[in-house]
Amino acid sequence: MSDADDAVDRELTMSRAMVESIAHEMRANEEVFYMGEDVADYGGIFDSTQGLLDEFGRDRIMDVPISETAYLGAAVGAAQEGMRPIAELMFVDFFGVAMDQIYNQLAKNTYMSGGNVNVPLVLTAAVGGTYNDAAQHSQTLYGTFAHVPGLKVVVPSTAYDAKGLMHNAIRDDDPVMYLFHKRLMGIGWMPAPDGPKTPVPETDYTIPFGSADVKREGADVTVVTLGLHVHRALDAAESLAAGGIDAEVIDLRTLVPLDTETILESVRKTGRLVVVDEDYRSFGVTGEIIASVADGDLDALDAVERVAVPDVPIPYARPMENEVIPDATDIEASVREVVSGE
Amino acid sequence: MVSLGRMRELYADMVTARHYEERLQEEYLEGKQPAFDISAGPIPGELHLAAGQEAAAVGVCHHLRADDTVTAPHRPHHVAIAKGVDLKRMTAEIFGRKTGLGKGKGGHMHLFDPDVNFACSGIIAEGCPPAAGAALAAKKRNEDSVAVAFLGEGAIDQGAFLESLNFASVHDLPVVFVVEDNDWAISMPKERVTDVENGSDRAAGFDMPGFRVDRDDALAVYEAAGEAIGRARDQNGPTLLEVQVHRRMGHFMGDPQTYRPDDDEEAALARDSIDRLESTLRDHGLGDDDLSAIRGDAEERVEEAIAWAKEQPQPAPEDAYDDVFVNPPSGVTTEEPDFDLAGGDDR
Amino acid sequence: MTDRRRVTDGGSGMRVAVRAAGDWEEDVDETEGIVVDWFAREGRSVQAGDTVCEIQVEKVSVDIHAPVAGTLDEIVVDEDDAFEIGDTLGWLRSE
Ligand SMILES: Cc1ncc(C[n+]2csc(CCOP(=O)(O)OP(=O)(O)O)c2C)c(N)n1
Ligand SMILES: [Mg+2]
Repeated sequence: MSDADDAVDRELTMSRAMVESIAHEMRANEEVFYMGEDVADYGGIFDSTQGLLDEFGRDRIMDVPISETAYLGAAVGAAQEGMRPIAELMFVDFFGVAMDQIYNQLAKNTYMSGGNVNVPLVLTAAVGGTYNDAAQHSQTLYGTFAHVPGLKVVVPSTAYDAKGLMHNAIRDDDPVMYLFHKRLMGIGWMPAPDGPKTPVPETDYTIPFGSADVKREGADVTVVTLGLHVHRALDAAESLAAGGIDAEVIDLRTLVPLDTETILESVRKTGRLVVVDEDYRSFGVTGEIIASVADGDLDALDAVERVAVPDVPIPYARPMENEVIPDATDIEASVREVVSGE
Repeated sequence: MVSLGRMRELYADMVTARHYEERLQEEYLEGKQPAFDISAGPIPGELHLAAGQEAAAVGVCHHLRADDTVTAPHRPHHVAIAKGVDLKRMTAEIFGRKTGLGKGKGGHMHLFDPDVNFACSGIIAEGCPPAAGAALAAKKRNEDSVAVAFLGEGAIDQGAFLESLNFASVHDLPVVFVVEDNDWAISMPKERVTDVENGSDRAAGFDMPGFRVDRDDALAVYEAAGEAIGRARDQNGPTLLEVQVHRRMGHFMGDPQTYRPDDDEEAALARDSIDRLESTLRDHGLGDDDLSAIRGDAEERVEEAIAWAKEQPQPAPEDAYDDVFVNPPSGVTTEEPDFDLAGGDDR
Repeated sequence: MTDRRRVTDGGSGMRVAVRAAGDWEEDVDETEGIVVDWFAREGRSVQAGDTVCEIQVEKVSVDIHAPVAGTLDEIVVDEDDAFEIGDTLGWLRSE
């Protein structure tokens, strides 16, 4: 993109980038449709379908009853017939009422059929806290979906990635969980940090799953993260740089598949690893990344820390929510610890 | 016939609930102008207010005792007030304070007051199974307490509701399911998401009585609920009761309601169950002074609760780590006994 | 609706105002709003009709479109800042 004439001037919020790729795929393929609560007239509580009803009508932008088992399961069935549904779970926290359709049908039908059945479904869901909505509306649950074999798990952190990953998700013949962070969408009532709004090409393009993005190169420590915390880690890296610590920040972009190679390469260079996650600390992403690095090259690892939600549900009141959801200062502190710990 | 004294009580709770919601709206929007930023202002998080739905709450809850259980959904304040939840501590919870019902951990969608057996869930229809469970406990213990689950009309398509109807019916549980039909589930009008005109018709499929109170009328609700709760208390099984109410505000504060036709909103504002009860009270001889005395008391109670709540301390950050369990993680013990087991030592 | 005025500072084209105005004004009572997002930076090119920024008035979000093709010359009201309806939010320099 160095040629000035080809430079992409237009910047989009993450929600607009997502919607642009969905609209593109819907124009190209009659079999793509979108189902969810409040996705038609409202345009998605988090703007995930703004404007789509006008172009595609109610047959293809479908409001559904509050019956997650029925409509997510129906999306599984339609996908198995060869259609390409996108089904939205308004908040990822509501997965529980439809867990069987996700965990036992969507994730496993391909395998149980010996690969004779496939489920080209994109399941979108809003994730994340930082706006005081308490324990039932603030989780990310990244690890929950990455844990069960059979689901690809996508977590965009910028508009550019959101579009390219969505194109790949819709074209993929397997189930994809597409988890977008509310705080990154660029909604008026939930201001985003500066990073997620990026230049976005008007043409369609695909970003492969399993290719982590090195957001910032650094020599001293590797910070691995995803979603909202990419931006918090970059903020931390900026202020660490002022103190002479050079952090490399890796945005995983997808959890399944996991780009272990990029992480290992970085850790071989820095020797120090800090994993940052907005999910619960135990039995989740942080433990998994660290174990993968230990498996892959134990000798490369001199020091390690994890920064995640301590094992408590997300509290409502601001002082407590701020305490449990990691911020840039928490990341900085952990980085300092691994750097000074030797 | 509803006694005049009872009517006055219903009215008092209705105006309390209405004033409460209007005052919370003001408080909530403070600090959110002109930019509506959900994480600014004195009240954290989302806020779902129930102005226009008071008739359902008071008509049902005024048949209940403290030992009867109520579960409420994401829109719980009017029900909590009618059930007798501690208004000050509830308000402190909504403001996220340390002395709130849940020490600031739960918030407005997750109010728990065990003193009056009140609980909420923000997940649609998920209060239904626990209400059935409270009824199951009463039945097993041969107590005459009952349980009531409140839900919106949008929740009647949810598995947790339908499964609970069947469970309650087959076990003859003393539980009443109360559907507050405000015509909307966020932006989805009920006719777009369900084909039955009356949600109460769902009861037939479970061999359970189902009634619908077709107008926003606290006295009509009171009479229908009296029958349903009486049935439950007399151990004659569950009932499904649907009540037509109206949504006077957006789904949540900040809802632009661009999906909602103007005439629908105007109709909702015109059909006020509080006005209706007020004119009945006038027919029974109450005058301006009586009515404004009741309203004055209600407003005072609300103002006191809000003022108290705002003086309460914020929780400390580290309070976040408490209350995950009530027992220590190891359970009731820290030691394992040492038995001499036949067949070998497992250590 | 578009303000045009000749510029004298040597640039080509005209400066054309991007204003907080449109049909949506009928739907709101409030006179103040905020700019939520700009979709181009100063100096970058835009096409006529492109959404150049999103504003929010009374919780209603509105897209503001570029009246002409050109470059975004100046952002007058920054993101998260308030304006009065009718105000100039920024200036385009037409092609
Ligand atoms: C299982 C689940 N799905 C979706 C939601 C999001 N949601 C919150 S309120 C609501 C609408 C509920 O409508 P209704 O039951 O009629 O209650 P009302 O808001 O009208 O009082 C929805 C879809 C949720 N909280 N839980
Ligand atoms: Mg409703």
